[in-house]
Amino acid sequence: MKFILQLGAKFSLKPHFIVRRASRYFLLSKALLKIAKKNFYYSGNYLGKVKNGKFFPSFNLLMMLAHGEANKIVVEKKSAWLFICGKDIFQKGIISVHGSNNKGNHALVLNEYEECLGFGRIVHSLTGSSENEVVVKNVSDIGDFLRREK
Amino acid sequence: MILRLMSRKAFFLDRYERLGWKFRKVDPKQAIRLNTTNIRGKNLEERLESIGVQLEKVPFLESGYWIQSSRVSVGATAEYLLGFYSIQEAASQIPVTLFKSLKGKTILDACAAPGGKTVQLSDLMKNTGVVVALDIKKQRLSALANHLERCHVSNAIVYELDARQASTLDMKFDKVLLDVPCSGNFVTDRNWFSRRKIEDVKNNAKVQKKILTEAVKLLSDQGELVYSTCSLEPEENECNMDWAVKNLNLRIEEVNCYGEKGLTEVFGSQLDSTVEKCRRIWPGKTQGFFVCKLKKWGRKA
Repeated sequence: MKFILQLGAKFSLKPHFIVRRASRYFLLSKALLKIAKKNFYYSGNYLGKVKNGKFFPSFNLLMMLAHGEANKIVVEKKSAWLFICGKDIFQKGIISVHGSNNKGNHALVLNEYEECLGFGRIVHSLTGSSENEVVVKNVSDIGDFLRREK
Repeated sequence: MILRLMSRKAFFLDRYERLGWKFRKVDPKQAIRLNTTNIRGKNLEERLESIGVQLEKVPFLESGYWIQSSRVSVGATAEYLLGFYSIQEAASQIPVTLFKSLKGKTILDACAAPGGKTVQLSDLMKNTGVVVALDIKKQRLSALANHLERCHVSNAIVYELDARQASTLDMKFDKVLLDVPCSGNFVTDRNWFSRRKIEDVKNNAKVQKKILTEAVKLLSDQGELVYSTCSLEPEENECNMDWAVKNLNLRIEEVNCYGEKGLTEVFGSQLDSTVEKCRRIWPGKTQGFFVCKLKKWGRKA
């Protein structure tokens, strides 16, 4: 999957546990697979959806990826909060970088407790930019749960 | 119009008084429930305190806290968005705790949206087994799905299905949760007295009986059924339990939880004596609530 490659993640799921419902993908346990009827609305771990040929990962999938090898940046408290509010990440907010920091790649954004808050696109060098420069553009963050309710 | 509203309010307040409770205005504190599966190894209380949320343990709940005071909206913290806790009224956290040994079981949450109790079930099951969650309204299903995703629930399956048709699932369940649609109460709805008529209560009671009847078909012989409402009206509570005992081959189980004994005399009618094993919660520290645990009678020899 292109998305997973862009995150530099080494990750695989057993295809027979993945179920597609319209444009959405779910990862089902053996017990759920056994009872699932075709018309379910939601089940197991929601993985994401495809819209106009593009894959939009769920936060569950991002969290799974964050537990393994992937491009990640850990940001300080204020940057974490602003990121949840939909803002981008400035160089000065980064505490540490893991994996690739190549421009154009994606990176998971983690808070000081290393909890995944979403992901962004690397737009400038994560290490060589000036501190007031936006280095990661917000693509998706957990604040989306609130935005969906509106 | 004002006179009509007053008389409607007076009508219900008179009923409550005849049932043994004198109306007073109450304002229960907002409550949260920690999702223990998601906060393993984290000191959530300390983290919330550091952002200005003061918690008070709810004495009758294992994972429930009242919000004493807060500088932030508890529905918009990073910890909330990460699924570490849910906002759930204290009394409504009780029904799920009445089930015994949930791990690995197959459970039906027949009227599930917006999903507070579904998430609580999953949490107590440590994401093992299966929770089948139903709701009739598509719009409510989206709120339910968001709740499940936010709280990392992985053992649930959701269908758009009326609980009165749940037997079309063709399954048997170890536990059934019936947090049935009800008239609600004045604590959570400021306009309750102007919006509700006794006819609504009676209609809700009919629907609840239908849901109960359907749920019993799906309950395994040794299974447990928990029935709850946030209504104060006995027609939706004790009277329905009395009816279930007399018509559905069910017996009421003793429970050890917050609340008063169920009423066994309602407006001059005597109900089955076992109805007192139910728990009725008049508004006070919590909203009004009613809960009852039922099991099937064993097969007769």
